[in-house]
Amino acid sequence: MTQALLNGVVSGLLIALPAIALSLTYGILNFANFSVGAMITAGAYLAYIANASFGAPIMLAAPIAAVVLALIAIAIQHGVYRQIRNADHVTLLVASMGVAFVLENVTRFFYGADVRTLDVPVARPLLWNGLRLNHEQLTIAVVALSAMVVVGFILKRTRLGRAMRAISDDPDLAEVRGIRRARTVDWTWALSGVLTALAGVLIALDGVVDPTIGMNYLVSIFAAAVIGGIGNPFGAVAGALIIGLVEETSALAVSTTYRQGISFVVLVLVLLIRPQGLLGGARVRR
Amino acid sequence: MTGYLVAILTFVSLAVLLGFALNLQWGQAGMINFGLAGFYGVGAYTAAILSKQGADGFTATVAAIAMTAGLSAVVSLATLKLREDYLAITTLAFSELVRLVLTNETWLTGGANGIRDIPRPLIGIVGGEGYELFFLLLCLVLVAGTYLILERIIRSPFGRALRAVREDDIVAATLGKNVLALRVKAFAIGGAVVGLAGALHAYYFTYIDPGEFAGFVTVYAFMAVIVGGKGSNRGLLLGACTVMILLEGTRFLKDFVPFFSAQQAASLRLMMIGAGLVLILIFRPDGISSEYRLSIRKSARSELNS
Repeated sequence: MTQALLNGVVSGLLIALPAIALSLTYGILNFANFSVGAMITAGAYLAYIANASFGAPIMLAAPIAAVVLALIAIAIQHGVYRQIRNADHVTLLVASMGVAFVLENVTRFFYGADVRTLDVPVARPLLWNGLRLNHEQLTIAVVALSAMVVVGFILKRTRLGRAMRAISDDPDLAEVRGIRRARTVDWTWALSGVLTALAGVLIALDGVVDPTIGMNYLVSIFAAAVIGGIGNPFGAVAGALIIGLVEETSALAVSTTYRQGISFVVLVLVLLIRPQGLLGGARVRR
Repeated sequence: MTGYLVAILTFVSLAVLLGFALNLQWGQAGMINFGLAGFYGVGAYTAAILSKQGADGFTATVAAIAMTAGLSAVVSLATLKLREDYLAITTLAFSELVRLVLTNETWLTGGANGIRDIPRPLIGIVGGEGYELFFLLLCLVLVAGTYLILERIIRSPFGRALRAVREDDIVAATLGKNVLALRVKAFAIGGAVVGLAGALHAYYFTYIDPGEFAGFVTVYAFMAVIVGGKGSNRGLLLGACTVMILLEGTRFLKDFVPFFSAQQAASLRLMMIGAGLVLILIFRPDGISSEYRLSIRKSARSELNS
């Protein structure tokens, strides 16, 4: 049981990264980015290319993947979402589905459906009072926590973060006050690219690289973001931890193949009982 | 060649049925169904399992329609208090769940191996010889019937109320419309059409497996609807044909570019579908044809379209 709790926290921390990314873009652009799963896949493959094809150690491959994916995310913002920014959020949502399709199939085109692994040394798991902790899990925890601290710092303590929160609250008012919206949006996508890429690398570290890894997490990510009150990055972290814990502890009772099913059930329950999210305040609907 | 044409037209009819469903759910009621593939799978599997148990084609099809409509109604309850994004998430998660069940509950669905030798309805009377043609005609009749029914619904007060809910649910609620009931009904009717398409799919291929009901089905259907013009069932006929030509056209790609493997050609096709979807949304967001509007002056139609 304690082992399941530990695993749950680790997997929650992992889900938290893309959930934060989802919440950030949702808060600022007001649409749910369905390509977040495909971005994870793209990030994992970018790291794989740097790591396995160019021989960069993973410590170098991960940041490379993060930067490249951030640039790709900005490019997609300019090429796609910016072009249809006046459309309703539903159109943007459908467009993000199209983007997801392109990203996922680009990786499939070049690398096929074969399962690949990153070139990292294998290490013995740490044992402590009967609890097992893999090195991969430790890495996930450390990287995810550091990334969260950095994002928290950016949001709370920097000009960019203030601009982001202002736009999230009231885009028109923010613009009137001289906040440059286009630039802030670019930075948001960059941040989102970095977070999803890191998540992709971490998932690949703990398992394998294949074109479906991102999609497999999509439901959990959305469930986490919705529980946290979608659009609220700090809530997303809490939501991710809840989802991680529920998924791992439910594995004691339900077959692990239904992990996503568990997230689905949690998602529906939250939507029906407390649609603004467990942490979201009651918000006036527009 | 005739056989090929018959097959293509059958695919187009199935795509048109899916498009009809989306057109009602998304086009008219503004409810996004990203789980279309899952509902399609439910329809196909319901028809297949019942047919294998010895039910006749008609009963199995009706059961598939009822099953899909019922599940659609239940899933759409997620919009109880919320805006459309959440329905998109919920339906997508639902279709993932369907895929898991189809893959893992081997006792019911045959797991990854799927169900084979699904009995075709009326094959005893029609005979194997001209069955493909008969099936195409059956599909066309069903498409025409569905079209007439849906047009009727769209032009009825119910259809008008749906559009009102889509444009502004609060205003609609203030005017005394039961927003939730309208949404659930619209989603269930759409689901019924998806169930019909699913059942036809199972009968046509006589073999189904979980891989056929993955996300690409949803994206194709969305593409057909967007090409045709969201909300327009007539445009959809054209949209479905365009998508099918694109799909079939790229199938020949690997004959011309021999260094692509079959897998690469397949992923290239999916890539083009995704890119096509995005490009249409950017350059031609209204599609080929516009939705039905009750208008007095025909010339004012373009201004009325928001």
